[in-house]
Amino acid sequence: MSSQSYEFSAKTVDLAIEQGLRELGLSRDQVEIQVITEGSRGLFGLGSTDARVRIIPKPEPVPETEPQPEAAAQETAPEPAAQVREPAEEVAPEMAPEAAGATEAGETEAVTETGAETEREEATEEAPAPEEAEPAAPEEFGPEQVKELATELLAEMLQLMGIRAQVVAEWAEPTEEQSEPPLLLDIRGENLGVLIGRHGETLGSIQYLVRLMINQRTHRWHNIVVDVDQYKARRAERLAQMARRMAEQVVRTGRPVSLEPMPPADRRLIHLALRDHEQVYTESTGEGERRKVQILPK
Amino acid sequence: MENLVKFMARNLVENPDAVRVSSRRIRDGMVIQLQVAPEDTGRVIGKQGRVANAMRSVLQAAALRRHQQVILRIR
Repeated sequence: MSSQSYEFSAKTVDLAIEQGLRELGLSRDQVEIQVITEGSRGLFGLGSTDARVRIIPKPEPVPETEPQPEAAAQETAPEPAAQVREPAEEVAPEMAPEAAGATEAGETEAVTETGAETEREEATEEAPAPEEAEPAAPEEFGPEQVKELATELLAEMLQLMGIRAQVVAEWAEPTEEQSEPPLLLDIRGENLGVLIGRHGETLGSIQYLVRLMINQRTHRWHNIVVDVDQYKARRAERLAQMARRMAEQVVRTGRPVSLEPMPPADRRLIHLALRDHEQVYTESTGEGERRKVQILPK
Repeated sequence: MENLVKFMARNLVENPDAVRVSSRRIRDGMVIQLQVAPEDTGRVIGKQGRVANAMRSVLQAAALRRHQQVILRIR
């Protein structure tokens, strides 16, 4: 309980809280908030520090499942399946998400088709008739099969995580730079911040696992990108904006600025965004988790 | 939670039928124990524990909504 806490930083305390809640997919009254540092503007842009807050999800007296029926408690009344959740949880954790998932018509498409305990999942769709013998003759995995398989695996993983969401899969268009375009799996639904995690760490793990699973099944490497409501696509734009803003500051003050530590993909976006900047250049410093980008005047 | 681990493990290994998952409760959550065929151990741990940590991070996310702590052990 108190062992789970998450730190976020931003220009102001309010912004840090807002960002944290969004990433965790929780609302203000579901968490406890501690302000670590208020942050300061610094003098003439020197020594300005970000505000840092710690967000601790509150344990609920009655342990709840995922989507809080926030203000709209009235509309939840006639959902018998909703009650199944808690008592069943420890004994058979898979019951809860399934029961819940099944009640939501409309968004279940990808999520529901997975049975409770499918011991062997094959992509049965295109197998025309039960041919005798040769149970799983090495299938050929074309783009369509890979897409189907990846969607299924991801949907089942989400369902087992107790998350109601839909997976929208699509092969990206080939571009000049990428002869082998990635398969994009976008997870759509409400309150999915929890799938993103700090600096997209959870999302990265999900993507890594889906890639490995596909690899294991098809014995071939496929470029698969997992996104949440196009978080990555939007994040790229946000990072580039932030980079340009910081670059302006560097130009104005003549002083280098260090950004907070980021994963390689994010650092790459910053480097790219400022690659052609005339007055600053960028450099990565630090090791491992602490590695971050510095923006320096030329 | 156990089923989530089982699902992930079964889809990462060569011998899905050898995957065994058990769990026990602790004060703030649960400890999940994963066992796979000896030759599959590397597939669920990965270089520098990368696969194991990815599974942990997925578990953590799932646990967050239930306000639990989950510890994954592999042997």
